[in-house]
Amino acid sequence: MAGSRWADDAEAKALEAQRKKEKEEKKRLKLEKQRQQEEEARRASEEANRPQKRRRISLGPQDDATPASKESEAPELLKLEGGSWGPCRNVSNYETLNAIEEGTYGWVSRAKDVSTGEVVALKKLKMDFAYEGFPVTALREIQLLRESHHPNIVSLKEVVMGASLSDVYMVMEFMEHDLKTLQDDKLEPFLQSEVKTLLLQIASAVHFLHDHWILHRDLKTSNILLDNRGLIKIADFGMARRTSSPPPPNLTQLVVTLWYRSPELLLGTPTYDTSVDTWSLGCIFGELLLKEPLLQGKNEVDQLSRIFELCGIPTNDTWPGFKRLPNAKSLRLPSNADSRAHGSIVRAKFPFLTSAGADLLSSLLSLNPENRPSAKDMLNHPYFKEKPKPISTALFPTFPSKAGQERRRRIEPHAPQRGEAPRVSMAEVDFSGIFAGREEEQRGAGFSLRMG
Amino acid sequence: MATEFANPLATEYQLMNSSSQIDRIPDDLEKSIRFAGARLTQAAGILLRLPQEVIAQAIVIFTRFWIGPEGGSLVQYGAEEVSAASIYLVSKISSYPKSPRSVINVYSYLRTLPSTFVEPNSLGKEDLESYFVSEGTYQSRRAALFAMETQILKILGFNLTTVLPYKLCINYIQTLGVFNQPHAPELVKRAFAHLNTALLSHQLLYMTHQPPWLATAAIYLAAKEEGIKLPEVNWWEFFDTDVEELGFLVCAFLDIEGFAAGEEEKWGKRKVPMTVEEVEDELEKRRILDGGN
Repeated sequence: MAGSRWADDAEAKALEAQRKKEKEEKKRLKLEKQRQQEEEARRASEEANRPQKRRRISLGPQDDATPASKESEAPELLKLEGGSWGPCRNVSNYETLNAIEEGTYGWVSRAKDVSTGEVVALKKLKMDFAYEGFPVTALREIQLLRESHHPNIVSLKEVVMGASLSDVYMVMEFMEHDLKTLQDDKLEPFLQSEVKTLLLQIASAVHFLHDHWILHRDLKTSNILLDNRGLIKIADFGMARRTSSPPPPNLTQLVVTLWYRSPELLLGTPTYDTSVDTWSLGCIFGELLLKEPLLQGKNEVDQLSRIFELCGIPTNDTWPGFKRLPNAKSLRLPSNADSRAHGSIVRAKFPFLTSAGADLLSSLLSLNPENRPSAKDMLNHPYFKEKPKPISTALFPTFPSKAGQERRRRIEPHAPQRGEAPRVSMAEVDFSGIFAGREEEQRGAGFSLRMG
Repeated sequence: MATEFANPLATEYQLMNSSSQIDRIPDDLEKSIRFAGARLTQAAGILLRLPQEVIAQAIVIFTRFWIGPEGGSLVQYGAEEVSAASIYLVSKISSYPKSPRSVINVYSYLRTLPSTFVEPNSLGKEDLESYFVSEGTYQSRRAALFAMETQILKILGFNLTTVLPYKLCINYIQTLGVFNQPHAPELVKRAFAHLNTALLSHQLLYMTHQPPWLATAAIYLAAKEEGIKLPEVNWWEFFDTDVEELGFLVCAFLDIEGFAAGEEEKWGKRKVPMTVEEVEDELEKRRILDGGN
């Protein structure tokens, strides 16, 4: 459907012309915006200088203090700035340019702020009012994004509404690419220096989230956006939620897109923590190196089997207590004598990775969640200090924008939908044979399938 | 980082101009309804067995809804439906979500109480059938609840940030080194009581003052009342509270009791109008009374 657009030469020309026009318009509006900002800054500074109105209250002897002595004693108090609130603006403040993609929770399009000319991503929320009113996932996403101010997390500019109460749009900053599509379109995998730059940014965003007690729960390359200057921003907080220590008991296992889902989730753990995100980081690391998703399971069972194939079979020593997880009870695993099956083959699978790199990757992909490093540990890992050094984002190669004119294609499972977590029946699943072919060559190209 | 302890506050302009005021709702009536609505939310929260933290957030959201010229107007929205939707919305994003059915049942029950300032020991003596909700009524009330929920989100611009002072309060009491004193439990209780009462303040304290200031003032007042000695320094400054703010808040906390008593006296056995129709009736009644003068 996307390709046919380009077949039509006339349309391509028209699009080209449109793009040119937009560019000119953008330039003009940028100047206009700059002028406005300057004026606003001037006004703000004036406002700040104006003395604040405040009711004066007598409170004992302190009140007798003369203004002069008060000045000298003035304590240094933390300024508490929480802003204010106002109603949602109307969606007519934005002009839709073109559709980008349809995600689990909404339709995303590229749009332009009519007054400033700024190009934004406009996400129309899918509203299924019937049973719970305003979708709680959307509420969580909006609240968490509002609170997460970080250079590597996509910023939510505002929420606007249309004529009816079910027309709700999130206005976010526009990013040219997502890592998944970009990677699919590239001929070669990213260079080591590029992988490091990308990973550092992703880990820094994840560290910020975890530091603020937020679990993302759907980290994957298609949720990681990239602009033309190599700047990464994590998006799609539809699965995210707050956590605590110890983690809340009522967490759903129905999180994280299958290919990025950790073994403990697949085994039905009733409680989990930030390490589910760290597992996804490992999958993303592997994917950046391979230029294709690392573990492309066809279903939960197949996913688990691929994980064990890569990372080895867990034992009570390497992952104490894993056998008590709900779905692990009926697992038939190879006998302990088969030592060949217990080691990770991460190093063998990535022969070009330095030992520091392989160490990082295999620690991220530790079966035992407790052995995975935190996002903070990851940032300090020697892999990022050794040569080749992470490339500066300024030197990052640029790519023609996909989201600019074309719909994104997606060949991957969707994020899980809300509902009952599937009881994976492992009864008939026999993993004892999966290592027979370990010595043989690795599997070829992955599957491309759509699940859902 | 300061934003983690900060709430969005009402601007001076928002405080001076409410949507109800523009629609010519008398100031005293607006205050009465806001006060009764906050109390209603508190009562519903208790019946729904929600923790005070969730109830407090619902009251803050309820109160914010009416503020400013772009806020909700009593001519258009009933306080009862706004209260129900606030509590439903806040509970949904908390760890204690409540079903629409529970919320609707609780509000139907509260509706049957004979007066706003009801004698506590008359509670629970009503006829069960008087607040039974039929399936049809339930369906239509649920639709109304959902619509109101989104309306609140729209008017607040989806800004639901509500930082509460309770945890800070405990934290400050610990920092002041009085947490292990024999009277510490009374101090905490008293301070929390002030913070809860402040949610009902006609001076909209949670809309005008940041959580650290509220917590500090509650501790200051509670310590005075319980006769607990606090360090003889300007300790409030450590909690980022200006002495003038402290003084104002202490007075404002003490003021609420008088306001509440005045409201009770004013309304007596009557009900404060909690729906659009009831507000219209009240205005009509006042017009007639005015005409007689």
